[in-house]
Amino acid sequence: MSRWLVGRVAQAAITWAVALTLLFFLMRLTPGDPLARLAADRPLPPDAVTQLRHLYGLDRPLLAQYTSFLSGVVRGDLGLSIQFGIPVRTLIAERLPATVLLGGVVLLIDFTLGLGLGVLQARDRGGRFDRWLGNAALTAYAIPSFWIGLCFVWIGALTWHLFPVAGMSDPLASAAASPWAQWLDIAHHLALPALTLVVATIAVTMRYQRGALLEALDADWIRTARAKGVPESTVLRRHAWRTALGPVITLLGLWLPMLVTGAVFTEAVFAWPGLGSLAADAVIGRDYPLAMGCAALVATLVVVGNLAADLLYAAVDPRVRP
Amino acid sequence: MPPAIRRLAIVSALLAVAPALHAQSDHGSIVVVTGQYPGLPIPTLIQGSSNQDVADLLFLRLARIGPTLSTSGDAGFIPQLAEHWTRRDSLTYVFDLDPRAHWQDGVPVTTRDVVFSFTRARDPAIAPALSDLLRSIESVTALDDHRVAIGFTHWYPSQFYDATYQVQILPAHLLEKLAPSAVAASDFARTPIGDGPYRWVRGVPGQFVELAADTGFFLGAPRLDRVIFRVAADANARMNLLLGGDGDALENILPISNQDRVRADTALRLVAVPSFTLGYFLYNERDPADTARQNPILGDRDVRRALTLAIDREAMAQSIFGPEATVPVGPASLSLWIRVPDPAARQDTALARRALTSAGWNQVGKDGIAIRNGRRLTLDVIFPNTSAARRQMALQAAAQWKAIGVDAQLEPLDFATYLDRRKAGRFDIDVTAVNQDPNPTGLTQSWTCAGIDGANVGHFCDPAVDSLIRAASVATDGLALWQQVLRRIDADAAAAFVFAPAAMIAVHRRYEHVVFHPESFWSGLGAWSVAPGRQLPRDRAPGR
Repeated sequence: MSRWLVGRVAQAAITWAVALTLLFFLMRLTPGDPLARLAADRPLPPDAVTQLRHLYGLDRPLLAQYTSFLSGVVRGDLGLSIQFGIPVRTLIAERLPATVLLGGVVLLIDFTLGLGLGVLQARDRGGRFDRWLGNAALTAYAIPSFWIGLCFVWIGALTWHLFPVAGMSDPLASAAASPWAQWLDIAHHLALPALTLVVATIAVTMRYQRGALLEALDADWIRTARAKGVPESTVLRRHAWRTALGPVITLLGLWLPMLVTGAVFTEAVFAWPGLGSLAADAVIGRDYPLAMGCAALVATLVVVGNLAADLLYAAVDPRVRP
Repeated sequence: MPPAIRRLAIVSALLAVAPALHAQSDHGSIVVVTGQYPGLPIPTLIQGSSNQDVADLLFLRLARIGPTLSTSGDAGFIPQLAEHWTRRDSLTYVFDLDPRAHWQDGVPVTTRDVVFSFTRARDPAIAPALSDLLRSIESVTALDDHRVAIGFTHWYPSQFYDATYQVQILPAHLLEKLAPSAVAASDFARTPIGDGPYRWVRGVPGQFVELAADTGFFLGAPRLDRVIFRVAADANARMNLLLGGDGDALENILPISNQDRVRADTALRLVAVPSFTLGYFLYNERDPADTARQNPILGDRDVRRALTLAIDREAMAQSIFGPEATVPVGPASLSLWIRVPDPAARQDTALARRALTSAGWNQVGKDGIAIRNGRRLTLDVIFPNTSAARRQMALQAAAQWKAIGVDAQLEPLDFATYLDRRKAGRFDIDVTAVNQDPNPTGLTQSWTCAGIDGANVGHFCDPAVDSLIRAASVATDGLALWQQVLRRIDADAAAAFVFAPAAMIAVHRRYEHVVFHPESFWSGLGAWSVAPGRQLPRDRAPGR
């Protein structure tokens, strides 16, 4: 078991290094000068351009830049953002909480409510509830999230005035308000963006859960359990559902990076101060250090998410253990 | 009546009257919705207009440009940190600082701060772009605590502008001991201490920045107690914040359908403010494939003129920006003091066709595109895909150019790629939008032969324009010469100048004394107030 674990971790580390390497060189191959935006409003004298290239290490050979980037990632030093002039680590740390909050709430709802609804659908296989919910969820999944967001803003904020239009907190609220009041304010602002993402994504977990559960319910050992007189609720909960969790755990691992990247459009519609919009802006502006900092974070989440999913899968399903 | 009861009665009466008194107050707050988080409003480090907006409320200059927006001489400039000034000789201005000026930590503003700020601003290692603009300043010398002399290398009309507009004064006592490279990550950058009408309260990254009125501001305490710059990167989200009542003001209301939405909202009004924005189709006079050679199509002035005549620039400008947008003669925005009042040439497709024919484009292919010596009149038009206004301009122009036999190939580009292509001269026509500097000497960079290989990416080179600019730059009253420059560039058809718009700014109707300065829209917020009796709950600042 420990050998398997070590091998799996080593495999994850190699995947991570390859991903970072590819991201680094792909970013450098993209046309566009990272300093161009600095000179977009007011041309910089050639000396200044030379000096800035030196400051950001852009005048060094590509391989030297690459090794410097990798060693920086390992040390936790992601360099200075060209666009903002402050450390990338600081920028990411400022924006990460908002992203984790939004993504975390969405994942939590998707993997609780979504799983529950998937189970209910499976129990009602082919029934009216199953068909109605399945169609509704797929319809929502087919609509772009920014469009769902705009509809929610129009209805929930601009027409009914139930929720704030945008942002993560009320800037007019006192900074000295109690933590409870501040959390309520954040929850109030979180409602619409979270609902948007849940509506746009919950169909996936529901479908996965429904499909996996239906497959499990058709299995021989379930038939045996039923034949032995095990109550249907126990068959579903103890036998079928546990087996059906495997694919869902894999899905969870794949969705972990959604914490960072999955909400770019929703962040834009609701002016949610997360990392997605920061990363998108960094790529558009060719802010290499910031873009690579965000990319390193996403690559880490992908690798860690998949590793965690493998470990969880092994814990849930003894058949996949070595 | 016993004294205790009398005191109680007085206090009760005051408490009863207090809400009424408050209702009559003209204090309040404002939420300005903006596109970028202004988290680093430190002069010399500023990137982006949002940071500059906040910096303009925190840090003063020696003087600011007056209502005429003229940058020639010192007439019209309004004292800020400098109470008054004198010209000692043709190469020196002496400024007397206002003795009442102080930093928000109580330390007086002295010439030590002025010398320090200019030293930082003139250091290319610290402020590369700014130091280039200040290259004609030779020395900044403190004569005593409140008198400072600024010396120049040579005489020119905009010396005073360079000495005052470009540099915002920083507190030497807080920054002297910090290495310039450490300022961005310092406590000062997180909580700036300025000398302006507003002081920094807090910044929540990605969300908002809150400023509070400095009640001890030496030029008069602002009436708006609180200014909040609220961030929404997406244009629709900004509009929603405004229309949803979560924002009080928003600049650049576009497209014009959004202007109609603001007009339909009874709580808001639109204010047209002349801006320094200018938009045009820039013709590349060199071959995009080899910039050492002349452009085989656009190297011919008649073709460039034909292209300009073929488009209805007035309709284009007004359909994109609204009725206040004008078509400029030459590269002059509405706020540039040298702008020419003449009307721009109107669309004349018949004349445009004749000009093309006389330039040799006298055959027409089956698809209606003009041909010369077997070559089709095809032009590559680039613009950034992030700009809806420029996309609209390009689409309208392409349709109108097609009518005279020009095949415009539109290339919307990712912004970084666009900047790359533009800089390398790999385009025929570039849909350009710029924010001009208030000083017309800025034209040197884009419209002189010396600017080629720099900002003059269209490779426009007319020795007559160079000579006019040289003469205008040193003339005491250079207005007529500058206007000749503009007319000459326009006649050369270096570009088709399309729009010089007014910025349409939406503001809540409860504000009075609303003043916008074209060079910095929000810098006049200190003069604003809320009409008595029209305050909203949010106008009651915490603690009031």
